[in-house]
Amino acid sequence: MNRAISSALRGSVVEEEVELTIVELVRACRTTEQQVEVWVHEGVLQPSGERREAWRFHGDSLARMRLATRLMQDLEINTAGVALALDLLDRIAELESRLRR
Amino acid sequence: MKYKDYYETLGVPRGASQDEIKKAYRKLARKYHPDVSKMADAEARFKDINEANEVLKDPEKRAAYDQMGSNWKAGQEFSPPPNWDAGFEFRGGRGGAGPFGAASFGGAQDFDASDFFESLFGRRGAASGAPRSRANVQGEDHHAKVLIDLEDSYRGAERSISLRAPVEDADGRIAMQERTLDVHIPRGIRPGQHLRLAGQGAPGTGGARAGDLYLEIDFNPHRLFRVDGSDVYVDVPLAPWEAALGATVDVPTPEGTVQLTIPAGSAAGRKLRLKGRGLPGKNPGDLYAVLAVVPPKADSEAGRAAYENLAKAFPDFRPRAHLQG
Repeated sequence: MNRAISSALRGSVVEEEVELTIVELVRACRTTEQQVEVWVHEGVLQPSGERREAWRFHGDSLARMRLATRLMQDLEINTAGVALALDLLDRIAELESRLRR
Repeated sequence: MKYKDYYETLGVPRGASQDEIKKAYRKLARKYHPDVSKMADAEARFKDINEANEVLKDPEKRAAYDQMGSNWKAGQEFSPPPNWDAGFEFRGGRGGAGPFGAASFGGAQDFDASDFFESLFGRRGAASGAPRSRANVQGEDHHAKVLIDLEDSYRGAERSISLRAPVEDADGRIAMQERTLDVHIPRGIRPGQHLRLAGQGAPGTGGARAGDLYLEIDFNPHRLFRVDGSDVYVDVPLAPWEAALGATVDVPTPEGTVQLTIPAGSAAGRKLRLKGRGLPGKNPGDLYAVLAVVPPKADSEAGRAAYENLAKAFPDFRPRAHLQG
């Protein structure tokens, strides 16, 4: 931190500075465009933009999509089951954050 | 190398049917899945369970594993007997990648097989079976977790991060290679957020661009402060007279001690907000001092007298009035 010019790499904070295209999301989460479409129809992901090509996903989608992908693959849960699990995990996170306050 | 008892890991007898193995695996996978479980060793357990399932769910791998005999105990020193796998189809993998090089490990993308597994079934190939020979393929994105301290988010910081990633050499062998990156941790980053470092993932082939590296940020637990989103909480114990009469007390914040005015008549649980003193950033969080009231012990003559005087001073104080029907 004392160096005037640091050579350290600078990244972008995904949740604040990044909007992801479907292509970026697919690559980052090692999934398929079809699967992303399924999550959008299920309401798990809510991109802005009307057409698929114009979809832009908020940075929060990255963690959510990765979590959904892991749950689906590791536990062999179907789409509706994953959507339910995500809602319940959100509720647990909310309750846990209340405990921290 | 230690022997691994995959049956013990899944909690099934050696004679278990494929169906029993599947059931046991699913139950344990739900219990120890790192995204669901809060147990400290969930990640390690989940890895073991996945590895055991990878072998036992596949009749051929299971038969090969069984052939080593049932006299081994988990944790016992082990090396595979010569030709232990003779007659099994899965031998004969290409290059350094094992025969099951591109196998899918139940989707656990960063599956890291044990030495025991690798000695039997070979090393898993490139992390996700990336297409190797096609030209112009963008490199894969990589993911890693980084633990920082709360103070790092307040000030911004630099971290050296060691990453291990599979790299293919000129002969097509896959080896784990370690590299170190110096990364700037931006001020105001919150637990659970991700940093994207463009071009720091796997190299592309045929001149295509490299993948990106995503770093998931988490905070080490702090002795004094709790973080919720961008807000920070600190417990502030008060003496009963400070809470009743009001006081000015020193309160630690991640940016140094501040003087906090406690209003008279404060009750335990009251939260005093220090606006904008939570995690910094475009929308800085707040710091909350959570008040607690700690009564001193009546373990001296003077102490007992003080409590007796207190009782005399409040003859009408009925703290349990609301319990009465």
